[in-house]
Amino acid sequence: MNPSAHASGAGADPANESWRNDEGALLTMLEEVERKHGYIPQQVGDEVSRLLELKLERIKRAQAKLETGIRRDVQRHVARWSGEEGNLIMILHAIQNQYGYVPREVAMELSRELGVRLARIYEVITFYHYFKLQPPGKHNVTVCNGTACYLKGAAGLLAELRTQLGVGEGQTTPDREFHVDVVRCIGCCGMSPAVVCDGKTHGRVKPADIAGFLAAARAASPEAKP
Amino acid sequence: MKPLTLDDLAALASRPAPVTTDFVRVQLDTGGIAAGAEETFAAFRSAVAAAALSTPVLRVGSHGRSWADPVVEVAAAGLPPVLYGGVKADVAPQIVAAHLQSGRLIDDHVIAPASGAAELAAPVTHLLVLDTGVGEAKTKFFQFSFVEELKRRGLADQIQVARALDLGVYDEGVVVTLLPAGVTYTNVLAPDVARIVEQSVQGRQVLDDLLWKRTDPQVRIVLRNCGSIDPESLPDYLERAHGYQGLRAALARTPEQVIEELKVSGLRGRGGAGFPTWLKWTNTRIQKSEPRCVICNGDEGDPGAFMDRSVLESDPHSVLEGLMIAGYAIGAAHGYFYIRAEYPKAVERVERALAQAREAGLLGRNILGTGFSFDAKIRLGAGAFVCGEETALIASIEGKRGSPSPRPPYPSVRGLWGRPTAINNVETLANVPAILLRGGAWYAGYGTETTKGTKVFAVTGKVKNAQLVEVPMGTTLRSIVFDVCGGVLEDKDIKAVQTGGPSGGVIPDKHLDTPVAYETLQQLGSIMGSGGMIVMDTTDSMVDVAKFFLKFCVDESCGKCAPCRIGGFQMLQILDRISRGRGAAEDIAALRRICQAMQKASLCGLGQTAPNPVLSTLRYFDEEYKAYIEGGPSYARKMARAAGGAEPARALAPATTEGA
Repeated sequence: MNPSAHASGAGADPANESWRNDEGALLTMLEEVERKHGYIPQQVGDEVSRLLELKLERIKRAQAKLETGIRRDVQRHVARWSGEEGNLIMILHAIQNQYGYVPREVAMELSRELGVRLARIYEVITFYHYFKLQPPGKHNVTVCNGTACYLKGAAGLLAELRTQLGVGEGQTTPDREFHVDVVRCIGCCGMSPAVVCDGKTHGRVKPADIAGFLAAARAASPEAKP
Repeated sequence: MKPLTLDDLAALASRPAPVTTDFVRVQLDTGGIAAGAEETFAAFRSAVAAAALSTPVLRVGSHGRSWADPVVEVAAAGLPPVLYGGVKADVAPQIVAAHLQSGRLIDDHVIAPASGAAELAAPVTHLLVLDTGVGEAKTKFFQFSFVEELKRRGLADQIQVARALDLGVYDEGVVVTLLPAGVTYTNVLAPDVARIVEQSVQGRQVLDDLLWKRTDPQVRIVLRNCGSIDPESLPDYLERAHGYQGLRAALARTPEQVIEELKVSGLRGRGGAGFPTWLKWTNTRIQKSEPRCVICNGDEGDPGAFMDRSVLESDPHSVLEGLMIAGYAIGAAHGYFYIRAEYPKAVERVERALAQAREAGLLGRNILGTGFSFDAKIRLGAGAFVCGEETALIASIEGKRGSPSPRPPYPSVRGLWGRPTAINNVETLANVPAILLRGGAWYAGYGTETTKGTKVFAVTGKVKNAQLVEVPMGTTLRSIVFDVCGGVLEDKDIKAVQTGGPSGGVIPDKHLDTPVAYETLQQLGSIMGSGGMIVMDTTDSMVDVAKFFLKFCVDESCGKCAPCRIGGFQMLQILDRISRGRGAAEDIAALRRICQAMQKASLCGLGQTAPNPVLSTLRYFDEEYKAYIEGGPSYARKMARAAGGAEPARALAPATTEGA
């Protein structure tokens, strides 16, 4: 039995089937049906619950797949460093290299795998600046703020980035395109001020150059690895 | 590569390094790559191939002249090796066509540091001209004059006149260098042109009144191989740099004798504190508990310093050799390289060096059949400045938060996993093979009474040639900044030199003639530190500089002890207030009080030294603080404008709304 026929018969908008994918719309639809009839017909209820179960099943399967994926990755990293004392930081490096940050699910899996409490893993992650808990943007712009770069105008570069992107240090643009970061020193003091844009280091950068980097990053393949 | 034996090494030692007269060496380190050296490398390869030349295009590490990146060294056509700076990919074909194919130098790229030579042993083939005076405007005119003079004498097609990029002499008017002898004339005036051509070029006589007699104060011990060998090749290190001969020399002696040699050399820790290396090794060696460990500290977190990165990237095997000698001396079988994750190239090259050494039997069990077993691993830092402190570094290798712990017990007694551990800086270890090879007495011949040997400095900031400098201890700061690095950018006046990074202090202009040594810098309220040296000109606000360094320390404080966690934050608040022109007269006294408390009561070096930038700027530039306090907000705004938007919080506010 087609539930939409029922729903339309019951007064919901026949053209609007958005409730199939949207829980909010589904609830609205049910409410409307209830208002009209004073109750929810058996068939509508059955069909809705059947669809919900299907959806739940799909979600569970996807999640299980994701989890085995995560588990496999974590096990691989742990196996690489097993038998080494104090391997936590090296494993976290491997994880961050893979994902670009340390996702919570991965940290949880790592905790299970290593038999180390999650709090201890977070203790380490939050201590070190290098580890990130938020996913990076598609393109990463890193401004060096070592002393040499600072003296030669790193602040001006950050200001220009803020003008261009509307985000500052440690922030990502709402569309997740660009992530702006500030680092201590990348050791390119001879070329100060320096900016690293998607892994490529630019030296003696002037604020006027920033727009060019951003345009080049946008123009580069959209699947550019973060 | 098949495993080496002691005999192989002995044979290598007696064989002289192969002399190569034909090469193009592209300096590929992080700095060079940032400037486009990879593209330059590829451009050279294709240009050489296109011209059907056999000249090898080689990868080497960095010489240290990072201001001129990408730097390329070319030897061909019977000319001595010539350094070219600023060689972007488009310059490569020019060099191939001019230098490799017709023995001509190209204009505006040659770097030929004055050698102090006083004899014209060979006929002059090239003249290099550069106006080092203000404006640098007369170079072209003098090039023209020399060419005309040579034409008049019919020499123009035998002798080339090229404009140089840098001749290692600064602020000495027009400078002319005669190649291949390297005789340098300074303050050359128009009437001298004919004299030089007639007497020096034709008559091969040296003109004493123009001759530049000073020699380069640099001595390259740590940087001995940087820029001349391929950092990714073990055979290169073995054959051309006496590689692992220091290890061979060490293995031929007892560990005690090795330590004795270090004692004679007077080598002190180059990480900053200057603790005698031999004593550190002895203290570790005398511990009964086994096994022992040795760690190479490559956590160069000090902003503005890049000598450790450079050495690890340009000559990783020499650091590994030093680490192995340290392991042999203290009786350790395990070594660790602790390297910043921000230095991926250094990590990659050390990793490769380890694999090569393992393959060649230089790491592992029973090395070279001597019964000495040793292996080394890499551990990555993760962006925490405090991890340069040895107890914090140990915690980090153990996979924990990098919080320091109180000493004693010192790591030499109870270190990594409770084992006796010696921690040495990259530069210290790079010195060790040279000392073993050439003797402690040779090394002690450089330097001052208390501080022996040489030190690598990374000179950056408002300096003309931001580069690595290796000078004997006791060289004056002024000599480093002006003679080696060319003085202040845009010929402004120097205000101060900051040494030691966030733990150091500023040294004002009037004290620049102080010879560099651990003690002298300490007396001036600064420290040697790892060797960062930042030049500041008269437009830099000292209050702002103090705030910058203090902010760094506050961000990096691990928060374990109260003086550092709270004191630093409070000081930053006060400094922020002062720099916005809202300070009060009593703020300066409050700053001094907090500084004292932090110095006395902090747990580790970070907290104890964090007040140094504030204290030393207060000591030498307290009138600047007073000017901010008395001048109020309008003065602060004026200073911020002069510095070009150095006050981000204020400058950025309108931009945010625009961007959003």
